[in-house]
Amino acid sequence: MAYGKKETENKPAVYEHHGHTEEHFREKHLMLDPLPRGQMNDMVMEAMTEKPSWKYWLTVFVLASIVAYCLVYSWIRLIAEGVGIAGVNRPSYWGIFLVNTVFWIGISHAGTFISAILRVFKAEFRRPFTRVAELMTTFGLVQAGFSIFMHMGRVWLAYWLMPYPNQRMLWPNFHSPLSWDLLAITTYLLSSTMYLFLPLIPDLAMARDKTTGWRKNFYRILALGFRGTEGEWTHLRNAMNIFAFAIIPVMFSVHTIVSWDFAAATRPGWNSTIFGPYFVIGALHSGMGAAVVVLAAVRKFVKNMDYFIRAEHFDAIGKLMLIISMGWAYFFFNDYMVQWYGGDKWTKQLLHFHEAGPLGWMWFAMLIVNIAIPWAILWNSKWRSTPWLVSTVGILINVGMWFERYIIIPISLTINRMPFTWRMYTPGIEIPLGIGTLTLFILLYVIFAKLIPMIPVWEVQEGQMAHQLKKFGRETVVTVSELE
Amino acid sequence: MTTLSDLKISEVKLEGEHVGKWGMVIDQDICTGCQACVAACSMENNIPFVGEEDSGYGRAMHWIRIERFWEGEYPEVKMTNQQPMMCQQCGSAPCEPVCPAFATVHSQAEQLNLQVYNRCVGTRYCANNCPYQVRTFNWRDYQRPEPLPNQFNPDVTVRRRGVMEKCTFCIQRIHKAQDKAKSEGREVADGEFTTACAQACPSNAITFGRIDKEDTLVYQMMHHGQSHGKKHLEELGTLPSITYMNGGGA
Amino acid sequence: MAEKKSTTSHGLLAVFPDLEPAANAVEGLRALGVDDACMNVISGVPVTEAMLGRPPQHSNVPRVAMGGAILGFSAGSFLAFIAPFMYAYPIQVSTQAYVPWPPSFVLLFELTMLGMLLSTFLAVFLDSFFPNYRPMKYVPEISDGKIAIVVECEHVEEKKIMDTLKKFGAESVKPAEAKQL
Repeated sequence: MAYGKKETENKPAVYEHHGHTEEHFREKHLMLDPLPRGQMNDMVMEAMTEKPSWKYWLTVFVLASIVAYCLVYSWIRLIAEGVGIAGVNRPSYWGIFLVNTVFWIGISHAGTFISAILRVFKAEFRRPFTRVAELMTTFGLVQAGFSIFMHMGRVWLAYWLMPYPNQRMLWPNFHSPLSWDLLAITTYLLSSTMYLFLPLIPDLAMARDKTTGWRKNFYRILALGFRGTEGEWTHLRNAMNIFAFAIIPVMFSVHTIVSWDFAAATRPGWNSTIFGPYFVIGALHSGMGAAVVVLAAVRKFVKNMDYFIRAEHFDAIGKLMLIISMGWAYFFFNDYMVQWYGGDKWTKQLLHFHEAGPLGWMWFAMLIVNIAIPWAILWNSKWRSTPWLVSTVGILINVGMWFERYIIIPISLTINRMPFTWRMYTPGIEIPLGIGTLTLFILLYVIFAKLIPMIPVWEVQEGQMAHQLKKFGRETVVTVSELE
Repeated sequence: MTTLSDLKISEVKLEGEHVGKWGMVIDQDICTGCQACVAACSMENNIPFVGEEDSGYGRAMHWIRIERFWEGEYPEVKMTNQQPMMCQQCGSAPCEPVCPAFATVHSQAEQLNLQVYNRCVGTRYCANNCPYQVRTFNWRDYQRPEPLPNQFNPDVTVRRRGVMEKCTFCIQRIHKAQDKAKSEGREVADGEFTTACAQACPSNAITFGRIDKEDTLVYQMMHHGQSHGKKHLEELGTLPSITYMNGGGA
Repeated sequence: MAEKKSTTSHGLLAVFPDLEPAANAVEGLRALGVDDACMNVISGVPVTEAMLGRPPQHSNVPRVAMGGAILGFSAGSFLAFIAPFMYAYPIQVSTQAYVPWPPSFVLLFELTMLGMLLSTFLAVFLDSFFPNYRPMKYVPEISDGKIAIVVECEHVEEKKIMDTLKKFGAESVKPAEAKQL
């Protein structure tokens, strides 16, 4: 009917293409919805300096109490009484402490991934959340470091693993994957912290200009006297460029070396050449999942963040999560297939134990939350643009990846070539300590949200300067100029 | 840098000072599984007693254990030979390279796999990488009820919590015998001394000695007339120093 | 003249609302005979030299990074190839060589990267004279997106400079004073 009506009124046909108005683009894309810099500064500063409500202090108090009990007190007990109060035994000499170490290193991967790889490839959607992600790297690595120290039998001698000339006339044994780990994690922690700090300097300078009192002094010291001269920007940009490129191989090396801790060992189920890339993709899988959760939390709980963090960002990260989930499935199957085909009797036992052992439910749950659920939900752009839904998927993926590490470490250790020693592992004080690391991770975010600008305002402004709408014939499209 | 000769520690054997490769033959056919070796080893090497609960949870610290297996389903159960299992003193030990602190190393002099308690920081990687699962860890500081502290062996270090340990082939006995022989200007004779486990074995199932000299009993047992000797998990290339004899119809 | 010199040596600080007028002003100043070395542009977003028509900035960061990489590689070589011979006695693990090649590569890689990244970070500090808490010529408005030009020129009259800056759309031009940031 409508068609006929149009014809009678002699109007040319107009085909509706959804959402190609300028208004639509503004609403959808942060980069096309520019605000004056001053206003953006004020939004970020307000989120940071606003007097915290009683809810904030209550949250800090609760989190800090959990950290005090679960992390500080339990760790003191662990050191004072020995690893015996943890659940490790023969044959599961490694338990949840190393599960948590691998897990936290995995979480820390996505921060650098988002920030470095996306910077190198100029993926513009990264701009508002690079800082939040980089913080995840640094905070996650702190937890990984704690977990690895908890694991050690004589942690007070941990400095013996550092290379320095000493009275014992010994250097660390660089034949050992653990020594490589120490170097790689140190390198990664230092470089990701520096990489977090460099783009933060201009924002700290902005905060210095906009605050008074103790905060002014705090930011003045941290901003190091940055003014924004051409020279300073050039040096900063050069350095960030070097960092973005160099930190990518470092990040890959870290998780590959973590995987070698297992792959280099002569154990059924561990001795696998695919472990390096399998661990790297697993790290990205949990890391992206954690990134989306942190992002949703920042958007929900920090003021003014719904301007900076929008559905498009969840959409973009959702796509990455989907691809990474597929990659993880590929590597998992590859590892499984070759182990299964090999026909070694112990490996066969182990695979059977994974699937049909007392913790077989964990193996199946891992496959469901790491593969089935992400694939079922993230293919749909509406669903993956919904923050609560995509962050639920993120949490599930993290549970699944924790299960994966649990299966690789204590469950696989249960089965070895000496059947006489087979014995299940039951966690002990690892549980409060694990909760403690998770709580500290959250607490660090809660505190730092009030201390440093959560959004790299200058990077957002730079991106907004670079974005334009352009008309190709009848269609309006987004164009980006390469300012960098 | 100070070199070792400057230190003048006579106990430390320098590289090249090859003083024998020690080995063992265990005849599973005559082992009765009486656990006398386990007890003797614990006494000799100051091994802590971990108590019932920890022991049941897989934290027993015995350096030697008697593994029992059976064939068939209950009630049609047939016992197989007992398998005494301890550190195999591998020639190419998987536990050694993975320690970040050089706490477990290959001894050039005795061709043994050493554990240096002082260096151990307790990463437990060595224990994971041991295919024989014979390394034991000091999970706690275990209490020794009176009068047990009176029977400490002064030749052996008492380990504290957080340290890995394992069978040493009674290296303190090896050194004692070597020192005695040296002072008398002769070589250590075969059978002059033996390890605690071999000494305690009522059925003489354990034979200890040098496996690089052809005239020792252990060498004879390994190489002559005993075709059924086999090394455990030899296929991993660990070059173990213990030969197991099983199914010889003794 | 001498008096003028002393006043101009403090320099002028002009604030521009946007990139375009600032770039024009740079051009205008150059036409006036102000040397590029006498100008400095400060901004809250990275404005490249090309956008402003200014000579390329010299940066030591890549060179220092390279130097750091070489230092890191040397440190790695020391740990991989020399440290194993500094023990009290040669330590044999398993049947591996004293200097095993594959682990040495790991060592060399990690320490090279560590050296490079540490020195890159350090280079930013050296090149930018960070940390620097002395009073400096600055306007906080640049944090809100303004672009400021600091002109310190002795041989061109201050008045002329001021006129040029205003002509090209400066929001304010005032004598630059070093202030505590």
